[in-house]
Amino acid sequence: MMNAPVGGAKHQLLPSCSILALLAALTLPMQVQAQVATPPLTRAGTTISNTASATFDTGGGSTTINSNQVDLLVDELLDVTVDSSNPADVPTTPGATGQVLTFSVTNNGNGVENFVLSTIANAGGDNYDPVVTQIYIDNGDGVFDAGTDTLYTPGANDPELDPDESVTVFVVATTPGTVVDGYRGIVSLVAAAVTGTGSPGDSFAGQGEGGGDAVVGSTGADGTDAGAFIVSAATVTLVKSAVVTNPLGTADPIPGATITYTIVATVAGSGSVSGLAITDNIPADTSYVAGSITLGGVAQSDAVDADAGDYNGTRINVALGTVGGGQTRTVTFQTTID
Amino acid sequence: MRTALFLLFAALLPGQALAANQVALANDVFVERVTTDATGKQRILLEEPKVVVPGDRLVFVLNYRNAGAQPADKFVITNPLPAAVSFADAGDTRPLVSINGGRGWGQLDQLTVALSDGTRRAAQPADVTHIRWAFPKPIPAGGSGKLMFRGVVK
Repeated sequence: MMNAPVGGAKHQLLPSCSILALLAALTLPMQVQAQVATPPLTRAGTTISNTASATFDTGGGSTTINSNQVDLLVDELLDVTVDSSNPADVPTTPGATGQVLTFSVTNNGNGVENFVLSTIANAGGDNYDPVVTQIYIDNGDGVFDAGTDTLYTPGANDPELDPDESVTVFVVATTPGTVVDGYRGIVSLVAAAVTGTGSPGDSFAGQGEGGGDAVVGSTGADGTDAGAFIVSAATVTLVKSAVVTNPLGTADPIPGATITYTIVATVAGSGSVSGLAITDNIPADTSYVAGSITLGGVAQSDAVDADAGDYNGTRINVALGTVGGGQTRTVTFQTTID
Repeated sequence: MRTALFLLFAALLPGQALAANQVALANDVFVERVTTDATGKQRILLEEPKVVVPGDRLVFVLNYRNAGAQPADKFVITNPLPAAVSFADAGDTRPLVSINGGRGWGQLDQLTVALSDGTRRAAQPADVTHIRWAFPKPIPAGGSGKLMFRGVVK
């Protein structure tokens, strides 16, 4: 080891000569630090002990001495982050209940800590305030199920997290019936360390894990993130018209004339309607023309079968299924005047 | 600033471990606190740690003195890094470092770490496990000096 290169360590009789050198050394930036992936934080309560040794020979052979030992207690750092787990706004509909936003809460500190959860739905920046009804703590599967997840009660079951541990939290809300298509409603979840929150560096004497203090970290010991609902509603408009033709070549509704009915269903809005069906009774004193149902210009059979249309003797029915906003469906059928 | 200067001078003064009549080595640890004054100028203060938390920047100061009558030859100071401290730098003192628990030594920029895919990457400060200063000349009788390095509480 003695043939290794040696740097600027100097020795001299007057220690004060190195003041400037030390000052210069202490003000060097530590720029390389951030390049390495961050390891887990040192656990609160850990003692950091440092001892150096010196080996030398003053003529009587090699001698080793140890320095004094310096012990430092690592205190508990209080840090938490909240992240919305929804990649995009969550669709909802006017008046809907049980609407769920998903968040994760992570203990970024170095000790076991409980976190109080709360929500903010009236902070503005949106079109309406979702009504938060419950908060649930996930059972670990990441999927909301009111039957297996734990209903959260502040102060009673504040989630306890180990360092680096995360928990999934579900915020359940009701969408007011007054909202309209396109409205956006924001809900923020707030998690705050039970030990306390404040400005970075604030400390709570003796309240840290392992007997030290608890010190507020860079997050202020509380975290928040926003999730949002987007109202995705749709409305259906039906317009029915009739055209009469007769053997005389006129439009007079005489016996034997044929009436062609056209029903146009228009779906508007950003949402969609499901299970949409058009049903129309055959008017009195008219007779249904067999096989006359069309959907989008395509003939439909009268039987209940694979196609969408059917006639049961008194009414026609066309099942349209799910229709998205901005689309139309056109149904026609014919009757003759008795 | 007065506090900082005081601590700097304190760091320079020989500690109690230097009282021996031969060679002595004293070890002091300070926390670097960066404060910003009203004009936005940053100021670094060294404090005796009362509270240490992950992310704190520690300054380790080693004062050595040869209080004996004979020169101390083959003088080597070794400081194993505490497990909870990540090495940052040693100012301009250019120590030897070990990244494998003291089995091998070298300048940090000459050491490499084997990766699982068979390649090697340059060693980083966080890989350092031991720091060592080997003096090419004997410490004369009455001679003393100071070494420092910095680390971050993991």
